Amino acid sequence: MAAHLSYGRVNLNVLREAVRRELREFLDKCAGSKAIVWDEYLTGPFGLIAQYSLLKEHEVEKMFTLKGSRLPAADVKNIIFFVRPRLELMDIIAENVLSEDRRGPTRDFHILFVPRRSLLCEQRLKDLGVLGSFIHREEYSLDLIPFDGDLLSMESEGAFKECYLESDQTSLYHAAKGLMTLQALYGTIPQIFGKGECARQVANMMIRMKREFTGSQNSIFPVFDNLLLLDRNVDLLTPLATQLTYEGLIDEIYGIQNSYVKLPPEKFAPKKQGDGGKDLPTEAKKLQLNSAEELYAEIRDKNFNAVGSVLSKRAKVISAAFEERHNAKTVGEIKQFVSQLPHMQAARGSLANHTSIAELIKDVTTSEDFFDKLTVEQEFMSGVDTDKTYGYEHILTLYNLEKAGLLKPQTGGRNNYPTIRKTLRLWMDDVNEQNPTDISYVYSGYAPLSVRLAQLLSRPGWRSIEEVLRILPGPHFEERQPLPTGLQKKRQPGENRVTLIFFLGGVTFAEIAALRFLSQLEDGGTEYVIATTKLMNGSSWIESLMEKPF
Amino acid sequence: MDCYTANWNPLGDSAFYRKYELYSMDWDLKEELRDCLVAAAPYGGPIALLRNPWRKEKATSIRPVLEIYSASGLPLASLLWKSGPVVSLGWSAEEELLCVQEDGVVLVYGLHGDFRRHFSMGNEVLQNRVLDARIFHTEFGSGLAILTGAHRFTLSANVGDLKLRRMPEVPGLQSAPSCWTTLCQDRVAHILLAVGPDLYLLDHAACSAVTLPGLAPGVSSFLQMAVSFTYRHLALFTDTGYIWMGTSSLKEKLCEFNCNIRAPPKQMVWCSRPRSKERAVVVAWERRLMVVGDAPESIQFVLDEDSYLVPELDGVRIFSRSTHEFLHEVPVASEEIFKIASMAPGALLLEAQKEYEKESQKADEYLREIQELGQLTQAVQQCIEAAGHEHRPDMQKSLLRAASFGKCFLDKFPPDSFVRMCQDLRVLNAIRDYHIGIPLTYSQYKQLTIQVLLDRLVLRRLYPLAIQICEYLRLPEVQGVSRILAHWACYKVQQKDVSDEDVARAINQKLGDTPGVSYSDIAARAYGCGRTELAIKLLEYEPRSGEQVPLLLKMKRSKLALSKAIESGDTDLVFTVLLHLKNELNRGDFFMTLRNQPMALSLYRQFCKHQELETLKDLYNQDDNHQELGSFHIRASYAAEERIEGRVAALQTAADAFYKAKNEFAAKATEDQMRLLRLQRRLEDELGGHFVDLSLHDTVTTLILGGHSKRAEQLARDFRIPDKRLWWLKLTALADLEDWEELEKFSKSKKSPIGYLPFVEICMKQHNKYEAKKYASRVGPEQKVKALLLVGDVAQAADVAIEHRNEAELSLVLSHCTGATDGATADKIQRARAQAQKK
Repeated sequence: MAAHLSYGRVNLNVLREAVRRELREFLDKCAGSKAIVWDEYLTGPFGLIAQYSLLKEHEVEKMFTLKGSRLPAADVKNIIFFVRPRLELMDIIAENVLSEDRRGPTRDFHILFVPRRSLLCEQRLKDLGVLGSFIHREEYSLDLIPFDGDLLSMESEGAFKECYLESDQTSLYHAAKGLMTLQALYGTIPQIFGKGECARQVANMMIRMKREFTGSQNSIFPVFDNLLLLDRNVDLLTPLATQLTYEGLIDEIYGIQNSYVKLPPEKFAPKKQGDGGKDLPTEAKKLQLNSAEELYAEIRDKNFNAVGSVLSKRAKVISAAFEERHNAKTVGEIKQFVSQLPHMQAARGSLANHTSIAELIKDVTTSEDFFDKLTVEQEFMSGVDTDKTYGYEHILTLYNLEKAGLLKPQTGGRNNYPTIRKTLRLWMDDVNEQNPTDISYVYSGYAPLSVRLAQLLSRPGWRSIEEVLRILPGPHFEERQPLPTGLQKKRQPGENRVTLIFFLGGVTFAEIAALRFLSQLEDGGTEYVIATTKLMNGSSWIESLMEKPF
Repeated sequence: MDCYTANWNPLGDSAFYRKYELYSMDWDLKEELRDCLVAAAPYGGPIALLRNPWRKEKATSIRPVLEIYSASGLPLASLLWKSGPVVSLGWSAEEELLCVQEDGVVLVYGLHGDFRRHFSMGNEVLQNRVLDARIFHTEFGSGLAILTGAHRFTLSANVGDLKLRRMPEVPGLQSAPSCWTTLCQDRVAHILLAVGPDLYLLDHAACSAVTLPGLAPGVSSFLQMAVSFTYRHLALFTDTGYIWMGTSSLKEKLCEFNCNIRAPPKQMVWCSRPRSKERAVVVAWERRLMVVGDAPESIQFVLDEDSYLVPELDGVRIFSRSTHEFLHEVPVASEEIFKIASMAPGALLLEAQKEYEKESQKADEYLREIQELGQLTQAVQQCIEAAGHEHRPDMQKSLLRAASFGKCFLDKFPPDSFVRMCQDLRVLNAIRDYHIGIPLTYSQYKQLTIQVLLDRLVLRRLYPLAIQICEYLRLPEVQGVSRILAHWACYKVQQKDVSDEDVARAINQKLGDTPGVSYSDIAARAYGCGRTELAIKLLEYEPRSGEQVPLLLKMKRSKLALSKAIESGDTDLVFTVLLHLKNELNRGDFFMTLRNQPMALSLYRQFCKHQELETLKDLYNQDDNHQELGSFHIRASYAAEERIEGRVAALQTAADAFYKAKNEFAAKATEDQMRLLRLQRRLEDELGGHFVDLSLHDTVTTLILGGHSKRAEQLARDFRIPDKRLWWLKLTALADLEDWEELEKFSKSKKSPIGYLPFVEICMKQHNKYEAKKYASRVGPEQKVKALLLVGDVAQAADVAIEHRNEAELSLVLSHCTGATDGATADKIQRARAQAQKK
């Protein structure tokens, strides 16, 4: 079910199993039949941890969405609220509980706070007079959710806004907690690097938390060699560029949510003979995208222009494989063919899906609009004046963007971008989209700054780019977490280091693709596991910063 | 070894009882034991003495003294009793002394005579006074049963969680029962009482008369009852000198005995060992002690002095002015080994080892004998087990030596049992020492568990010994050393004669960063003793902010709590402190506090944004944050105001704020918006339709779409929309309307500032090639090719491109040449290219 999590250099299934165990333990604490009332935002992330079957095994019979007034009727012993610790949600819960009490048989109420219990919320429940109604009030530390064999996300939508706009460190605290959980499972990370104000804070919190746990000496052999904490505001530019990898484009155009994408159904209509196309499916086609799917794993990080050739090559291989049956003569051969059939059929289905998706994307990328947008992007980067107008309702958004450092009133100050671009080689003219030699292939020319920083850290080290680091916002730093001698690693010659890179404020699929590209380089020396507060793209990011007064 | 069994007394055919000295007591008793209320805690616990107020022979003018001693007679506490007359004393399972006063008030003291708390057994008890009281121990804790002057019982099953239960009345009861006891069955406490020849059982619902199965006739009264340590057995002593022994369920008689002494015994207690088949009770009179069981004969001892019996799990302790003894049934392993002429494997092994030490070949003979029977393993086990039951270290050693000797001749004898016994005995010998005075037997020790034993050492403030034991047994730090150190620290903070600095330093020096030590617990204790400054100093050592902050709040050090919370990065904690501060301080002070803590301030702003908008405004005002005030009023203008006038007024406030913030852009934009709003309102009034809150561009577009071109142009002039942009708006709107006629008129109104290519594009977008072609001809030369291609006139495009001799244009046209129709054109271009190259 989650085997793809264990394919990577670091077995992230260990983390998934740990959080599943925690969930089961909590459910078993509330003996008897249960109904779960969900904070709707949590259902997506929870889907990656536990399917309904797991909940069912632990006597969860009903599921509702948290909303005002009464709870729907359910003949269960326990009602459990799964919520984020937010005051407005507490008000709704109180409403639910109070209207429940007036109706007949009493039920046991419980609250599971995700990811952290909150005194503030409990105080609110107390003020509303319902705190005593809850038998179990616990927290479920679901901070980092494993998305793929090398990818973890907190899926915290507001993280960037909170950190950079509202100076609210809540999500940084959760990030630090998540890193502590990771270290408890995968060993203390001996070296921490970071760039940016938030990175500094997370590192400080981690060091502090480590002091709180002095009692339990971690005796796990460290899996990660380094941790690199990067503030999103060190590189505000990259997410704004249109991602040109396959996965990046799917996200740009259709939006990937918790590893699922919803696509227009027309292209996925089952091809039946004699079907006049009368009953086309109307519901969006929902597909899960992760490296469990062999073909997707191969093409997800490629530049879109290189995807077509892979698909057609794959088509040939598959049809050749199906042709094999004509060559199967003996019973043994036929048996062998049949045994491979399910795998082949799955491969064929996967190919059909991705061919359809590629067609959908192609329609978009060859359109004038798309071309114009890319042109404008390039104009922005090259500094051509453009004339933009906004309605007055965006004035608050504009101010937000300015505060976050995304917009600057034109002043006479020195423009540092050329220096940065030159030193970090952010623009590569000779991009090979088919067989890339540099990370710039993910944007067909532009090399994401964030990933370049990671690359330079691993080789030759940040000392070589001190000047640029000083221009970029926030401090850069290095911390060591001493290990007992028994746990110190002796690296085999040729063995790659493993770096956990944490993007505070979000990361795009193109950046992930670039990091995977670095991991795969034969002489790269470093493999990356990526963590972030949120998987995002330019539009979802700007949207999170928008504020419309009505 | 003959002398070894000298103190063994047989009871019947199958059991021996022995009595040995634990301590010789040199407590300097001022009173005779018989003149005192005496309470001795089980498991070798402390002894409390208080002169009995009911004995009036002595002068009562002197206040009695409450004295507490260790089991070895060392004084632990001595205090003048200043409260009311005490009826009964007893120890709780936590070794707290309960002093039950006549008025039903129970005073609770610690082991060292420190007053802990008091509670009352209720009004009924207060009115009728306490006649008698018993403290009893169950799995739920320590219970207390009271017999009142009205011959009614009140009971609490657990004094730690006081719930009083008044037991039902015994019908027709006129006088106090001759004897009574508490029973514990099915986790519920009952009372069994005897009135004359009758027995009654009280549970919480009813009173029922009960009879004893197989009770000998002629009984007219019961003088004593005793329930066993585990509540399983019951014994009654009758006025005929007859003892009935049976199960406490009263369903079965086990045995009976007639001792022919009719004098009421002073005490009667059970003496049995867990898992033993033997049942025996010990009965004490003034000068006589008798062990009776299922045997025709009893064992008798003479008591030289006034003595007091303490029932234990596996025997009875007997102490007097000069000695403290233990009486118990000899355990099986010891019996097997030491019984005269025993041929048990353990006995032979012990002999073999002795001979071996004497360097005699008999050692080999004995060993051979055991091995031939294949009983060497059993022999070793017997010796180990018997060692555990020996009180004297020399005997323990000799048995362990024998076991060790036997082990040498065995392959793969698992070493744990031997090692563990050595460790356990070492611990036991240490605590049995006279200075410590906890005479636990091996069985009691195992029942009590090491954790509880450590707690008891802590209670006695024997911290170093407790730590030594932890280290010796290699207990995990959190359960062992850390816990002891934490207790020590909690005791240390109560030493009022030492300065805060010294205490804090001493504690930190000892505890350091020992895992599992909670500095906040220690600080809480210090605060409990009224030492707030010390508590704060101790909290500095606490690494967990989650623990620091609540206590700081409790101690009203909210500002310190705030900075600690901020340090932790835990925003929830910060919020908690903030809300606390908000209630505690007046508004001005609260804001000032926030001002010095930017992180807290921004969090509080977020809180206000969602919960208390007005406060948010005040915060911005205080900080002269005009930019945010401006934004605030913009939000207010949209959210709170319905009427245009109100909205415009709010925007005016916003604009003023922006000017103060020197944000000209926002101020101007806001003023423009005010103008626009007023104008939109007027448009709605005059033209109908919806205009309010449209953007300027949308307003213009809407006007054009509605056919109000003049108004649109006026608006554009008023708001200084650049010509270029107005043309775009008009062009788009007219094309949307598909008003081609008007569009053409518009295009001819003057020279287009945006050229004519957009006209072509927009017509094509509406799929109107005919109209598009009209404009294509007017497109300027540099965009002509593109325009012609758009309308599909490839041939003419080619001509123009050739005329321009522009390579890029040529390629563009070529890329549009598709199929056969454009073949000629393509050739033409190729030729033109070739020519161009020739030149």
